[in-house]
Amino acid sequence: MEFKRFIINKLILFFMLSTLIAVAVSLTGSAFDPDGKLGYGAFLVPIEYAALCLLPTLVTYSKRELPPRALLVRKLIMLILLEGVMLFIAFTSSVIDTSRADVVLVIAGSVLVIFVLANLFTWLKDSAEAKKLNRDLENFRRLHK
Amino acid sequence: MNVRIEKVGKEGEELVLIRCREVTDEVREIESFVKSRQGSISGTSDEGRHEIAVTDICYIESVDGKTFLYTGDRVYETAYRIYELEELLRQKHFLRISKPMLVNLMKIESIKPAMSGRFTAVLTSGEKIIISRNYVKALKEALKG
Repeated sequence: MEFKRFIINKLILFFMLSTLIAVAVSLTGSAFDPDGKLGYGAFLVPIEYAALCLLPTLVTYSKRELPPRALLVRKLIMLILLEGVMLFIAFTSSVIDTSRADVVLVIAGSVLVIFVLANLFTWLKDSAEAKKLNRDLENFRRLHK
Repeated sequence: MNVRIEKVGKEGEELVLIRCREVTDEVREIESFVKSRQGSISGTSDEGRHEIAVTDICYIESVDGKTFLYTGDRVYETAYRIYELEELLRQKHFLRISKPMLVNLMKIESIKPAMSGRFTAVLTSGEKIIISRNYVKALKEALKG
């Protein structure tokens, strides 16, 4: 059950990452190569990148409930691995000009921004859920006093 | 051991009497079970044996096969297994919030988001415990009654 839930969460993250990577590729492409022409294969790039980025997230899996600090450490390891995966993709790609330092910096920065945004969205969703739980808790306590 | 049930009139005092040659662990277990049904659980601390009112317990945790009752300022060990207490205290507003932990819903002050779909329950004692994402659905249902 725990592993099944983990996989479902990873699928949600995969779709979120695909969308955010598509936006990042579009914005960086417009900035660095506005006249560039892309084939149909370009549509698959965000999906491939999202799938690759998903692999480092497996480090957060644990059978036991991780304490907040341990989870934070694992998330930081995940971010470092994500940066590694994306830079590996960039340096092995024939399309990306990694001789330019600004291109490399933008790629690394994009990964960081996407990581922060993905966690921020999750946090906002959880915050809204916590607010509702607190309202329900207040009603529960009032009813059972 | 024979079991006999006698009905008493409205005026009579309800009483569970255990007649035994020796107070064995089995007898203590029966005593403990009867008391738990009445709103208290037997626990031990360095100072000896105690009867802890269920309403005073903030949360219950299983650590390395041992079960501990936390009342805010004190910790007691009990002979019960966590799943037995889950069953016994279901009607007393106790709910499982992670694999090794039960919480008294009446002792939760507020709920805050933790990372990755988990929540932190801040107890009236000031302690913070993690609500595993696997048990959030059960919590929502319990609070809605």
